Amino acid sequence: MIIAEKKPIEEVIEMVKDFRKILIVGCNECVTVCEAGGKREVAVLASSLRMYFMNQGKDTQIDEVTLERQCDREYLEEIRNRIEQYDVVISLACGVGVQFLAETYSRFPVYPGVNTCFMGVTEERGVWSERCQGCGQCILGSTGGICPISRCAKRLLNGPCGGSTKGKCEISKDLDCAWQLIIDRLKELDRLDEYEQIAPIKDWSTERAGGPRRVVREDVRQ
Amino acid sequence: MIGISGEAGNFEVEVLRHPRYVDMEKCIACGTCAEKCPKKVDDPYNENLVKRKAAYVDYAQAVPLKFAIDKENCIYFQKGKCRACEKFCPTNAINFDEKEETLFLRVGSVILAPGFDAFDPARFDAYKYATHPNVVTSMEFERILSPSGPTMGHLVRPSDHTEPKKIAWLQCVGSRDMNRCGHGYCSSVCCMYAVKEAVIAKEHAGDDLECSVFFMDMRTYGKDFERYYNTAREKHGVRFTRSRVHTIDPIKGSDDLLLSFATEEGVITEERFDLVVLSVGMEIPPEVSELAQRLGIKRDESGFCHTDTFYPVTTTRQGIYVCGAFQGPKDIPQSVTEASAASCAASVDLSSARGTETLSVEIPEERDVSNEPPKIGVFVCNCGTNIGGIVDVPAVAEYASTLPFVAHVDQNLFTCSQDTQDRMRDVIKEAGLNRVVVAACSPMTHEPLFQETLLACGLNKQLFEMANIRNQNSWVHSSDPAAATDKAKDLIRMAVARAALLKPLMAKRIPVNKRALVVGGGVAGMTAALGLGDQGFDVVLVEKETQLGGFSRELTQTIDGSNIQEHILELIDRVTRNDKIQVLTESLIVGFGGFKGNFTTEVLVGPGMYERKIDHGVVVLATGAREYIPREYLYGEDERVVTQVDLSKRLELKGASDLKDVVMIQCVGSRNDAYPNCSRICCQSAVKNALHIKELNPDANVYILYRDIRTYGLLENYYREARRQGVIFIRFRADAPPSVESSDSGIRVAVKDHVLQRDIQIHADLLALSAGMRPEDTEELSSILKLARNPDGYFMEAHVKLRPVDMAGEGIFVCGTAHSPKLISEAISQAMAAASRAATFLSQSEITLSVVTATVDQERCAACLVCVHSCPYGVPKINRDGVSEIDPALCHGCGICAAECPAKAIQLNCYEDDQVMSKVDALLEGVL
Repeated sequence: MIIAEKKPIEEVIEMVKDFRKILIVGCNECVTVCEAGGKREVAVLASSLRMYFMNQGKDTQIDEVTLERQCDREYLEEIRNRIEQYDVVISLACGVGVQFLAETYSRFPVYPGVNTCFMGVTEERGVWSERCQGCGQCILGSTGGICPISRCAKRLLNGPCGGSTKGKCEISKDLDCAWQLIIDRLKELDRLDEYEQIAPIKDWSTERAGGPRRVVREDVRQ
Repeated sequence: MIGISGEAGNFEVEVLRHPRYVDMEKCIACGTCAEKCPKKVDDPYNENLVKRKAAYVDYAQAVPLKFAIDKENCIYFQKGKCRACEKFCPTNAINFDEKEETLFLRVGSVILAPGFDAFDPARFDAYKYATHPNVVTSMEFERILSPSGPTMGHLVRPSDHTEPKKIAWLQCVGSRDMNRCGHGYCSSVCCMYAVKEAVIAKEHAGDDLECSVFFMDMRTYGKDFERYYNTAREKHGVRFTRSRVHTIDPIKGSDDLLLSFATEEGVITEERFDLVVLSVGMEIPPEVSELAQRLGIKRDESGFCHTDTFYPVTTTRQGIYVCGAFQGPKDIPQSVTEASAASCAASVDLSSARGTETLSVEIPEERDVSNEPPKIGVFVCNCGTNIGGIVDVPAVAEYASTLPFVAHVDQNLFTCSQDTQDRMRDVIKEAGLNRVVVAACSPMTHEPLFQETLLACGLNKQLFEMANIRNQNSWVHSSDPAAATDKAKDLIRMAVARAALLKPLMAKRIPVNKRALVVGGGVAGMTAALGLGDQGFDVVLVEKETQLGGFSRELTQTIDGSNIQEHILELIDRVTRNDKIQVLTESLIVGFGGFKGNFTTEVLVGPGMYERKIDHGVVVLATGAREYIPREYLYGEDERVVTQVDLSKRLELKGASDLKDVVMIQCVGSRNDAYPNCSRICCQSAVKNALHIKELNPDANVYILYRDIRTYGLLENYYREARRQGVIFIRFRADAPPSVESSDSGIRVAVKDHVLQRDIQIHADLLALSAGMRPEDTEELSSILKLARNPDGYFMEAHVKLRPVDMAGEGIFVCGTAHSPKLISEAISQAMAAASRAATFLSQSEITLSVVTATVDQERCAACLVCVHSCPYGVPKINRDGVSEIDPALCHGCGICAAECPAKAIQLNCYEDDQVMSKVDALLEGVL
């Protein structure tokens, strides 16, 4: 899932402080699950803003809505009838949702309420970590199911660098060396010989380096 | 109780009932009598540290909450004039003519629970308790620490009300003392409460407070107690000094006290303290001794009720049972356990009479109000002068009538009185009200009463709301009537706002499967099965081994010489002959589902290991524990190193004539880093075996190397006896354990003797290790049955003090060593207690589920698992449709999931968002 973090309230206030009619739009997908932008966070942000404006003596209308997803037009259409009455929209969806909302309602200023962080997993409640960078060319099959692109600080493809110490990465003692994990896993799977094989130079054109990407599936396209 | 005649099943009990001079029917506990009573007397509830009135209630939570008049101190009774209480009582409840009454009760069983007295240390001159205000008992200190006590929890010493900087606790006052008071026993509870008081004192007064506990042996033997002791010492900095202080000397010119004591190294030291707390023990009050005598019940030499090891709640008179401290010194959880055990024993005798005197209430059919607009009735209470004396009730009532949806307003002198309830019933019917708000006191005490009235009018009891304008208003704002009146209006406005949103909720009723599943066929499991089977409930007893008996098959006799094998055979015989009990041996539990009253357990039944599904209403866990297999002290390497269980067997089989020197080492596998808790039973095991050796071969030397001897309660008598017979006790420190070496001529044990202050060496023919206990099978079962365990692996009860045999999940009970290490007699008590608790549940044919449960709006659910992770009872599940589902039968209604759900897809019935927010909005109406 996409992991996001709530923006500090001060930052949100700075963006919307001059508006008087605000709609906060949550998303019931990833950001709900990572507790950054679901209906509860929408309500919390709305309350905080109401308190702020009340303290400022400013009469401001703040309404809340949480859509099923903000990355599909059909769901975004659900607010078409009411969006006219607002000066500004705060989206608590990931960057994808914020943009699609802004794209759909291009006449309205749309501000992000969260910082979108990465694609990752819930290690435990309150702890999320990165697992994928969407490089467009998955190599997990040859690395024992552990991704060196997202989990090695240097994105190395042929074993660890000299900074790997006692299984940890040199950039932080709390960070596992991805290649140590790969080697341990391959050993466990009795596939260590695969580690010996030199990985060819990776085609980075499917990654961000190749510019903004698009997937077109003719078989399902309508 | 004057006396009992007749016999088991048919007793006549003569009871003398003292008058309380207050009519319990009329008293509404308003407190006016106490307020007006001019006579002040010492308040025994607060250990006489403050005064109460002669018209009084013991304490705010007393049950029944009804006042009484203390005749000995009442001015009217003593001098013939006053009657102020009678004059002011708003309900005419005072009755000075009330007479003593003799009642004759016909009962089948009797349970004695007369309790104990705290030892009075005034008789110890050297402690100056009677003469110095800053020497207090632990009971007095308990009141000083209590927020409801004389200083409202502010820690000050009695002499000058200053905050003490140094407090000492002296242990074993009135316990373990044959010399000064003839109490040979240990009172069992004082070490733990002293540690607790020291920790709480530091919590109240801050870390600057120095707390020192002077003790002989630290007896923190209960479940998780050692952990608490360690935390007190290491985290809170409570100091523990091993010394029995002889004298407390007042320091002239100050209110301080001087203690002189010998340190462990034998150095006489003096230390000044601001306050000294005497950790007083328990003793049997003379009136209890007299009662026992009148009833013809045998007692032991210390005055406690005599019971048999295997029948721990049975007195020597048939049909009369005992529980609590009269049976022997014990703490709250054990008393609670034993109380349930006694009720099990009594219920077995009386099971044929179960339910024969039950009455049921007729309730009219419920009126459907779902399509009616809210029509709210508001009843504002004066509570005598409690509310009306401060709050302008007529103005509040007037205001209430202006609120939305309010159709009727009344003001009453006492809303809770029966005549007001009758009138309320008429008004609800006549005015066609469909919501009711009572503005009075606390829903805690009065909501059920008003809800009964709603039910009697055919209204769902959820259509009721209270505004607490007494406890939360007139009582706390008595100095500002105008503000109190405004606040009463606010509270009522909030209540009315919520009332308009209330919805009727139907409590679901589900049938109860009256069969019990008992897991584990040891002493505890068999006892629990018999406790239920003998009351007529069907029981399935699952045992993993080929035969019943459990770990007790390894044991020989108890410390008082009772034969364990004979008892097991008797239990097996009774279990197998009981046609209500079905025994499945060689059987394993592999699956579990359902909820209280309706569980289904999958069992693989041996020897064929076929799968069988058992439907049942309750579970009793009695999976037991085993002796720890030591890795220390050459165990398993040298055959002359054995455990206490091995030694017991050996003494039984081979005797002790070949033994010259036997060494025992305590706390093997207990009280260490890996396993911090005490295993409770090993000290008495060592003493038991030492005495047995001495009995078989008086010339043999027995050395017990220990850290603290924890022969709590009446076991202390055996410890004393062992010392008398010449068993040598050598204490070692945890950081300097004995060393053990094997040699051809014996086992060489070296240890530093604390008295001699030098290393000594003992050449032993046999080394017995007092190995601790380890729980059996709790890991797997806890994952199958979703049960909580403590860090040592023992099952965790719902409440360590007050619900010691209930698990957090309803309908599941625990007993025996699966709960924590314990003696056979304690395991038997607990097994009977579990059976009793289970029978209480099984005796209902239906149970009513709470309406306060969480419900998931599955459309909104993002299946994020937050509810699954945050529920303390493990109730929410992601179902096959990929959304969260909360079983109302399992939900405890705590509301955590509703608060945590990031999609706000969960609502808690009765506390739905709009119902809660409506009150906030109503409160802030006009302010924002």
